[in-house]
Formats: sequence, C-alpha cells, structure tokens
Amino acid sequence: MNMDRKDQDKLFQELEKSLLEYKGVLSSDVRVQLLDLLHCIAQDNLGRRTDLKRLVGIALELLDNAQRYNVSKDVDFRWHVEANNLVVTIRNRACRTDAERLMEAVQAIQRMNPEEIALAFKRQLTDDGFGPKGGAGLGMLHIAKKIGNNITANVEHVNTDEYLCTSQVVATLNPRAKRV
Amino acid sequence: MEAINIKATRNTPAIRFDPVAHTFLLVGNSIPENAGEFYGPVISMIKDNMPALPDGTSFIFCLPYFNSSSLKAVYLLLTEIKSGMERGKKFDLVWHVEEEDDFMTEAAETFTEMTDLEFIFKTGLIEA
Repeated sequence: MNMDRKDQDKLFQELEKSLLEYKGVLSSDVRVQLLDLLHCIAQDNLGRRTDLKRLVGIALELLDNAQRYNVSKDVDFRWHVEANNLVVTIRNRACRTDAERLMEAVQAIQRMNPEEIALAFKRQLTDDGFGPKGGAGLGMLHIAKKIGNNITANVEHVNTDEYLCTSQVVATLNPRAKRV
Repeated sequence: MEAINIKATRNTPAIRFDPVAHTFLLVGNSIPENAGEFYGPVISMIKDNMPALPDGTSFIFCLPYFNSSSLKAVYLLLTEIKSGMERGKKFDLVWHVEEEDDFMTEAAETFTEMTDLEFIFKTGLIEA
C-alpha cells in the first residue's frame, strides 16, 4: 500500500509518542513531581479516560519499586505509547537479593492466569506487615491485577553485589475507557 | 480518643480525627516510600483506642493517588475498623471518588470484597 507523506506522518504520530524520559536521581521529591507530570501528560496526550489514573499508577508502582530497591539512587525511566499500547520501562541498580526477588516475582506473575493473579494479590494484601524497606510486596501484582501479566524483567550482573534491573510493563489502551 | 491532626505532605495524606465532629479523615495522595512507618502509628492508635471511639464516627477516605503499600496500610486500618464494628461499634465508611475514575473506585471494590465492609460512595475530591 502506498502512503503519501501526510499519511505516513499521521501513522507515525499514532504509532508512537515518546511521552516522558527521565534519567537521574530518584528521590521522593522527584517521584512526586514525576507523578504530577505524568498525570498531566496522560491527560493531554491520551485524552479523557476512565483508566487514566490506573495507567499513571503503573508508573507510580515501578518508580516506587525502583526507589525502594535502588543501590545507586539513579534510574532510567521511560513512559511512551507504541501503537495501542502504553509502555513503561524502568531501570535501576539493586543488590542481588532484591534483583532476584524482582525476577522471581515477575516470573511467577508470567505463569499466572487472571484468577491466580487476583488470588495472589489478595494473599499478599492480607499477609501481615511490611517488608524491611517499607514495601508490601504488592507492586507487580497490583499492576498485573489491573492490566494482566504483560510484565517483563531483566537482570544483568554489574559487579559484586550490584545488578542492573530492567522492568517493563505493556498496557493495552482500552478504547472503551476513552470518554468524549 | 484525642484529636489527631497530621498535615498532608506532597507524598502523604492528611490524617485528622475530630472527636467532636466524630470524623476521621484520610485525605490526599498517599505515596510514601515507607507506608509501614507512616501508617503504623495511626493504625495502632485506632486499634488501641477502639473502645473510646464514639458510635456514629465517619471514616472518610479521599485518596486520589496511592501506591500499593498504602493500599495495604488502608486495608490494615479497615480490618481494625471492622473488628470494632464486629464488637458492636457503629461506624460509617465514606469513600470519595473522582468522576469516571476507575482507580479510586476499584480500590473501594477491592476493600469491600476483602473485608465485607460497605462504603458510602461520594463523587468529588475533598481538600486535604
């Protein structure tokens, strides 16, 4: 099919929107600012949607994890739209225990169907207490409960007890969530 | 139970208990790095003072954004409230949602499913 330049430009715009990239220190202040910015970006680029905060919430969980389990304080974060998907990617350095836990959590989720995800989420929610770093072990399950198990993680060994962790979530933008 | 007045920050909600108006409010974004540290003392306070909480107290929640560890903290708070209600206390639970917002609605639905508590839904946010 031949497309003229105008059509190509239109298709390109629809296919990908690189909405936000951030590389740098992730402090609580930065996380709050990113949340505000993401909310605004989502509202203006994705339009009025009932799931707007749910989509921003995915980023919030990934930022939360990256801040809590980070040995360097720096992150590499990207929030973009590819075709009909919102893709959220975060990379941070973590110690071996936390990196392994991330991989285990994501691999476990990948094996689950929606009912199993819901059950695992409930079990984790009702388990007593918080982890030593204040987390509830719910982040990835919370995301999976909302968008399914389209979550991937990759861990690369950097040095003795430092691992480069990359987590990515792909959320299909549900057309029914759009409001006029 | 004495009044509680914890002011909101950019990542933690305001928490207020007014013993005269019989209202307990949790209002604002809840995205603390350490939810256990932030909510722990409040949950303990509610638990320890449950006998002194007056009937008719309204627990009002308005959390536009929250992380999953806050979700757990609110769940733990609700289990204390439920425990009081099972021992005869009469409380109201009010959950504020923004118009057409799945995020806040789903959280209340999760809590209803998990605790069997019933929420009164109100549309619109309240100021922290």
